[in-house]
Amino acid sequence: MNHASSTEQRMFIRLNRSEKNQHLIFVISFIVLAVTGFMVKLPDELVTLLGEHRQTVFQYRSIIHRLAGFIMILASLYHMGYLVFTRSGRRWLKDMLPRPKDLTEMFQNFMYYLGARENPPEFDRFCYKQKLEYGALIAGTALMSISGVLLWSESSWDKFILDIASLVHNMEAVLACLAIMVWHMYEVHLRPHKFPLDKMWLTGIISEEEMQEEFPLHYKKIMENPELQKIYIVDGPVKNAETGHGITMADVSHMN
Amino acid sequence: MTIIATNYKEHLVRSLTVQTIAIFFAAVCMLFAVQGLHASSEALPDSENCLYCHRYPQMGRYDENGKKRIFYVNERIFAKSVHGKLSCKSCHVSGLDQIPHTDIKKVDCTTKCHIKEPSTNQEFSHANVVLKMETSVHGRRNKDNPYPEDLPDCKSCHDNPLYATLDGMWCDNEALSNETLARCTVCHVRKEWAESFYTHFTHRMRKKRAQKDIVQLCTGCHEDREKMNRHGLESIETYKDTYHWKQVKYKVENAPDCLTCHVPVGHSTHEMYAQTDPRSPLHMNNRVSTCSHQGGIQVCHPGATPEFAMGRVHAYGAKAELAAAETTIKIGDDTDKSKSLVQIRAKKEISDKEIFHYEVLRYLTLIYKVLIGSTIGFMCLHQFLDYRRTRKRMKHSHHSSHPEKEDKI
Repeated sequence: MNHASSTEQRMFIRLNRSEKNQHLIFVISFIVLAVTGFMVKLPDELVTLLGEHRQTVFQYRSIIHRLAGFIMILASLYHMGYLVFTRSGRRWLKDMLPRPKDLTEMFQNFMYYLGARENPPEFDRFCYKQKLEYGALIAGTALMSISGVLLWSESSWDKFILDIASLVHNMEAVLACLAIMVWHMYEVHLRPHKFPLDKMWLTGIISEEEMQEEFPLHYKKIMENPELQKIYIVDGPVKNAETGHGITMADVSHMN
Repeated sequence: MTIIATNYKEHLVRSLTVQTIAIFFAAVCMLFAVQGLHASSEALPDSENCLYCHRYPQMGRYDENGKKRIFYVNERIFAKSVHGKLSCKSCHVSGLDQIPHTDIKKVDCTTKCHIKEPSTNQEFSHANVVLKMETSVHGRRNKDNPYPEDLPDCKSCHDNPLYATLDGMWCDNEALSNETLARCTVCHVRKEWAESFYTHFTHRMRKKRAQKDIVQLCTGCHEDREKMNRHGLESIETYKDTYHWKQVKYKVENAPDCLTCHVPVGHSTHEMYAQTDPRSPLHMNNRVSTCSHQGGIQVCHPGATPEFAMGRVHAYGAKAELAAAETTIKIGDDTDKSKSLVQIRAKKEISDKEIFHYEVLRYLTLIYKVLIGSTIGFMCLHQFLDYRRTRKRMKHSHHSSHPEKEDKI
């Protein structure tokens, strides 16, 4: 698929440096939380396999789970600040807000899947899939954080509140992990043209080709507006890029 | 002078001879004594000659109910058991004169055996502890229980320890045990006695069973739904939904098993009482102490508030379900004969507030189940469609020389 014209190929920024780091911290704390959390649910037979180290494992598990939870809460608070106090954060929030258009696009996309349309709808910066997931992420993190903190400080609460917190914490964990596996992992790593690993979450950038394919409306908007080009194109506005050289990974890391 | 000297010499020689003889005699005695000791540590002093027959592993018969009974006694294992110092007739008091024995009675643990209890110097028996057990929640006295045969006797719980080897405080570390024991044997020269005293003492200073084994022991009866229903109780499998159990599962030290919360502080396991009894650690007046510091034994939930401590620790189980069903259906009243004891007790014990809590939790679980099912179902469908379509599109673009152009049309 790559043409000889790689020197002319522009790279587009999907995640800026801060967003990339936020995502990375979130990924790590999420995995740690999921592993240490579901360890409590392991069946007896598997626990027995740990032998005499069981107690130590459990104690470290408890500490690490709380630590990772604390980090995730901090990251979430930071993200909220990012959405309000930075220009790129406010732009993110504006682009992420659900609109009626998303419903139509979802319908159109289903028509495309079923073969009733030749092409998928033209998505903007964030499509309905990402908006749904982001919404679920916010709701899930809020519920997990609140119920987690309640369980952490259990002795001060009514047992009924703790029962609800523990139920929500359990169920939400199952929901979150399944959703991440089915929705997110598929979307970013398992889709046939991205398999086995889309490096975007590490580099933060995608190719022009991919941009046209996945987010055509966003692409069009960028190409029409030099201000947006400054933000989203790796080597600055189009005219500079055309005179410039091809972009390598080393350049990208410099940019960020 | 010479006479005196000769006398002295004679005296010396004579006394030396006496000493030598005495030492020799003592040595011979000790040799026998040691031999005797050695023998007694290996085998039971079978003065009643029971092992004449009972030493044969095949010894046994089928009883009237067709149950196989084994009467074999392994003398070496028995000698090491808690009752290893007793003769057979100390416990098997009657019906032994005729052979084969015809009129044997079951062993009664309150029988006085011929061991002196050192604090009173009277004949020892388990009568005290049996009395405590009998008046506790598990006991057959002081209550008209319709099914006394369901209640536990000594052997229901004291099943294996009879033949288990006793170990000391440092149960996992034999070297440490020996090190401690060495301090006893400095003065108490009879090693066998010191060892027995040491184990007797030290095995009461720690938990004999692992928490998991205790849970297993209790659930042996308390998870039997039918049995529990007869007594107006609910099966306690809901304990396994608690964080307490998760810790027990991981063998966390001092993790709360059944006894941690159900045995009154400062009493033995035999003295458990119903929750409504003010002596019970689960009585509402004692809850805060039980949850927070166990009367000083261990700190579990420091700063536990009454709201926290008064909650239901085991998840809602059969009783809440019954009580909730009753409020919605409203069939019959308390005098209704068709109602089981557990139904009647459920109505009495589960308050309206608790029914409300139970219902909230139930609906919340249901909502989450539906939410998870539908969300993940939708996602799977969506991704399946996406996969199919994307593969098709990729195939197309591979076949065509200008994929982008075609896609854009």
